[in-house]
Amino acid sequence: MAQADTPRRPNPASAGAGAVSRRGFLGKSAAAAAGLAALAAAMSPLRHLKEGDLPSVEDFLQKHYKEMTAAQKARALERIRERVRARHRVEAVVTDPPPMDGVEYVYGLNISRCIGCRKCVHACVAENNQSRAPELQYIRVLEMEKGSIDVETANHHYTPPLVPRPDKWYMPVQCHQCANPPCVKVCPVEATWQEPDGITVIDYDWCIGCRYCEAACPYWARRFNFAEPLIPGDAINPKISYLSNRPREKGVMEKCTFCLHRTRVGRLPACLEVCPTGSRKFGNVLDPNSEVHYILKHKRVFVLKADVGTLPRFFYYFDERGSRYHDPIEPGPVHATGEGA
Amino acid sequence: MRSGLQSWVPVAFLASAAVLVFDPLPPRVPISPPTPVPSWATDATPVRQPAMRPVYSLASYTYECMECHRIIPSPEETLRPLTQHTEIEFNHGINTRCFNCHHRKNRNAFVDDFGAEIAWEQPQLLCAKCHGPVYRDWQAGSHGRSNGYWDTARGEQVRLRCIQCHDPHAPPFGSMAPAPGPNTLRMGVPAPPAHSGKRDPLRVYSGAEGAGNSH
Repeated sequence: MAQADTPRRPNPASAGAGAVSRRGFLGKSAAAAAGLAALAAAMSPLRHLKEGDLPSVEDFLQKHYKEMTAAQKARALERIRERVRARHRVEAVVTDPPPMDGVEYVYGLNISRCIGCRKCVHACVAENNQSRAPELQYIRVLEMEKGSIDVETANHHYTPPLVPRPDKWYMPVQCHQCANPPCVKVCPVEATWQEPDGITVIDYDWCIGCRYCEAACPYWARRFNFAEPLIPGDAINPKISYLSNRPREKGVMEKCTFCLHRTRVGRLPACLEVCPTGSRKFGNVLDPNSEVHYILKHKRVFVLKADVGTLPRFFYYFDERGSRYHDPIEPGPVHATGEGA
Repeated sequence: MRSGLQSWVPVAFLASAAVLVFDPLPPRVPISPPTPVPSWATDATPVRQPAMRPVYSLASYTYECMECHRIIPSPEETLRPLTQHTEIEFNHGINTRCFNCHHRKNRNAFVDDFGAEIAWEQPQLLCAKCHGPVYRDWQAGSHGRSNGYWDTARGEQVRLRCIQCHDPHAPPFGSMAPAPGPNTLRMGVPAPPAHSGKRDPLRVYSGAEGAGNSH
């Protein structure tokens, strides 16, 4: 009742239908113009887009790797070739080698022999076109106290003048290509899957970058491209394949694929070829004459974090006696590495 | 009062537009420049390239072993220090006698357990005299270095012999300088263990002290 007696304040806008004051009009149009300017400014980064930065219609409509027909796959490989030529000025050979029949890959790593030189890390980066800045590496070499296997306190930043250090041992860790891979189970878009030869791969064009797989992996084997990957022009490896080492985009996951562009044509992976000690062993476990078959049958073998039930295809093994791990190391020769060492 | 508020709106819009266009505060990108990687880090050359034939290099000359040993007889072996080949670094455990491995008469060959010759090109047969388990592993492929193809139906697999990694006179595999360590976006150098001896893996150095990345 009291409100009914209150005199209403005069409101110029409601003085009459459609009446617009000069002041109100100017104010509103200034705000609208400023808003448009801000909108244009917000879109101004689009000016810096180069040709090829945005996906083409064909890129956008590209299907999942497993759903592509042979012709679509060939066109996708051709687009990758063109993109590599446009961005890196390199004529790439783009392939898509299929898994071989009757082959299941297994990796063996002799921790008695590994000296922690990290050559595998850098051979892998060069082979698989990983980003150099920000740095992205599939292999970590852990340095641990002899007599312990505590990966939580392991050091992967060791920089002694010479390796191996006598009281330490070294354990390279990379994707274990699990037979029961947790990373595959968590992917919400099925962008990652296990191939018949045991290699877990990613369709980089299908990945949405949610990083669930990174969280699910107990071996910290998956890497995320937080920024635009940088590969110096002369450092790109032109022999690339769709599922492994083609250049990745910002915002997708990547991982070790056992160098499937090499191993599926019979060659050994890059990390193995560069290892100066021969600690790394690779092959077809279904072949009873293979090296890895012998290792699994005759050597003392363990897998990392066996209790999480991932069934890795990456086995660490060690020698019985007469190896560095068991014997005190007498100072041996120093291998020149070209760095004046 | 109300008109004052209204005029703030376009001013704020225009200010944000100016900031977006002229970008006076570029974002700090926490990406360091690429770590220089030395070329030897990706070089697959074996650590040793021994001449797989009986030659001896001295003062920039290369001799065949038998050039000298045909005419100069070797002394009966004793434990006294060598008068020749003194530059050979000898560190082979209890194996201290030249003729444990080298043939007494034919210096172009090694000697087996029964005094017969082992061809110079087959040094693994000599090493197998003592290193049986390692030789067995090498034959099966679990010891030693392989290069090329895992699938020998598709290409050649190169198996390195013992002396392509081990110096036969000082066999322990040598040390080498490590290649540069990781320089990941969020990971720093782990802090040293606390007084209790336990290391907290989440604590990292913030400074460059001891950083494995600048190396």
